[in-house]
Amino acid sequence: MITPLTNATVLVTGATGFIGGRLAERLVVEHGARVRALVRNFGRAARLARYPIELVPGDLRAAESIDRAAAGCQYVFHCAYGSDGEDDARRVVNAQGTRHVLEAALKHRATRVVHTSTVTVYGDTPDGPLDERAPRRRTGFAYADSKIDAEEAALAYVDRGLSVAVVQPTVVYGPFGNTFTTKPLQMLKSGRVIVINGGSGLANLVYVDDVVSAMIVAAVHEAAHGERFLVSGPAPATWREFYTAYEAMLGRPSTISMTPEEARRFYKTAGAPHSTLAAQIIAALRHPAVKRRLAATREGQLAIRAFHRLPAGLRARIGGPGVALRGAANPAASDGDARPIHPLHPSKIAFMAAKTHVRIDKAQRLLGFTPQFDFERGMHVTGAWAEWANLL
Amino acid sequence: MDPVAERTAHLKKTFGIAHAFADHRDALPHIDAAIVGIPHQYHAPVAIDLLTSGIDVLLEKPMALTTAECDAMIAAAQRSNALLAVGLLRRFAPTLRWTKDALDAGLLGRVHAFDVREGLVFRWPVKSPAMFHPSCGGVTADLGAHILDLLLWWFGDCATLAYRDDAQGGVEADAVIELTMANGVTGRVELSRSRDLPNTCVIRGERGTLEVGTKTDSTITLTPAGGHAALTGRATTPAQQPPGSLVDLFAAQMMDFVRAVRTRTAPAVPGADARRSVALLEACYRHRRPLAFPFEPLLVNVGAAEARSA
Repeated sequence: MITPLTNATVLVTGATGFIGGRLAERLVVEHGARVRALVRNFGRAARLARYPIELVPGDLRAAESIDRAAAGCQYVFHCAYGSDGEDDARRVVNAQGTRHVLEAALKHRATRVVHTSTVTVYGDTPDGPLDERAPRRRTGFAYADSKIDAEEAALAYVDRGLSVAVVQPTVVYGPFGNTFTTKPLQMLKSGRVIVINGGSGLANLVYVDDVVSAMIVAAVHEAAHGERFLVSGPAPATWREFYTAYEAMLGRPSTISMTPEEARRFYKTAGAPHSTLAAQIIAALRHPAVKRRLAATREGQLAIRAFHRLPAGLRARIGGPGVALRGAANPAASDGDARPIHPLHPSKIAFMAAKTHVRIDKAQRLLGFTPQFDFERGMHVTGAWAEWANLL
Repeated sequence: MDPVAERTAHLKKTFGIAHAFADHRDALPHIDAAIVGIPHQYHAPVAIDLLTSGIDVLLEKPMALTTAECDAMIAAAQRSNALLAVGLLRRFAPTLRWTKDALDAGLLGRVHAFDVREGLVFRWPVKSPAMFHPSCGGVTADLGAHILDLLLWWFGDCATLAYRDDAQGGVEADAVIELTMANGVTGRVELSRSRDLPNTCVIRGERGTLEVGTKTDSTITLTPAGGHAALTGRATTPAQQPPGSLVDLFAAQMMDFVRAVRTRTAPAVPGADARRSVALLEACYRHRRPLAFPFEPLLVNVGAAEARSA
């Protein structure tokens, strides 16, 4: 397939991540692009290294490293974001890092920059249809708010003569995904997952290859210049359908329904102890390597024997990976399932309760973008991958 | 020795090291022995320089990626009478040593087959892209070097093999090797840098099945043929008691190297022994065929949307 990207030199930031990784892969395999990947942590580059991709050391916080990486690139896909560390550090990576990328692209006269944003720039969205005309709302959470700053910074470069397009993916899932693929599977396996209001909220899911396709079109299509595009699947599913698909892969139900208020209360009581030193020490003692070493000591053996003399319910509360239930007032205590419940971070509660329907009409109209993966097909591939990946 | 000044400075400070060098040749007048743990493509040139100068070398696995490089290193060691030991660490693991002894003693009777699945989502703190250069090899050269060495140690020479991996112009993250050993035992090895696999070798024989953890502090599960219960436990040696750790194995390896240097006798894994697994590595890469993942056929026409609109 000959495309405008064939033989073009393309910089991808975040290429060791989920979306950037799949993008880099398809740019090489399907488009024959010369891909250069900005890599901060080479320990994450094993899959990327399967291709003839130039791995360039760099960090979004270091402008000179981005400048070196962007030299000679016609296209820049900016997928990297602050995924770890403290909130302030993540803000710097998202906002200042994006400016570094755009500055380098401007200096080296890139044909187009595609900036990867997120649907969370719209904040806590109301029920009903949502499109790009909706206001961007701050929520006080570092990731979402700094992505607003990053998006604004990116589009400000249009006036300086740089062609920028912004894609705003929704809930991205698929092979090698973490937040909405591996993590839910691991959580459902290790305990119980809270769904809000029975999972009746809308999950605007999009399969990773559809996001990548939208990004590639946004890089080469004239009409993408200076525009933002929401990118989602053909139709939303409910969160219940989302988790049911994963539960089906694992072969057992593992969700528990709570109202937003119950979930918030549960987070306060069950999530809060993790902030204390004692809870951190207990969490550290639960690490398998530490457990093994402690278990081998004479005192450890005595403790194990004492532990096995405890009632079963108490043993489950001490031994689980998540947070055990405390007291009968808890909404799950009555259903007889003693597995620990994973607290749901407050930033996710409104997100999972909302019945927002993300519209992709603009991407369809201006770019001719049509998602190829409906929920059934996307989950079918994801299930086949999860089995291969030994996650089930 | 490290070519990056920042890292040598860090090592000097952290471990109180008096001398650090940016080039191994600068170190030659100052050293008696060397531990070489650099990216695989540099093993042979660096080790040959050291051995030629009469310096004893403990070389990380894989010894090299070609037997020609192994032969050059072995010849250099012979010429100068220096020792060449290879860091095939798992030879020092009590569990894997026990497996060798059990197989040799005929615990399973005639062995029919083995099945190795070893992998972890790669997250080693790699500091440079050198490890992902095609000349360094991928998961087969990295994890596969251990596994192929164990298989040769346990079952003897390999007669034939078929090999597939997922490299597409770079280095493989996943690979599958199917082997038939000279004694008729057949088996499959699955290696991964992109998945957490069970890290086990299941060995099936006429008298039972042995499942051995291939990592360093693993367990052994023995199920007699037709049996209803399994025996699970860990192997120990006087020097290595459970729980055991990677540090214990490195200590055992270092002790062996020091013993070999002091007594001028062969190390546990001399170059000529390690060369056998390199010959298999070389055969794998020579006979490479593409590896397709089970989910990939479901991904036809993923680019249809962009092809139309672009």
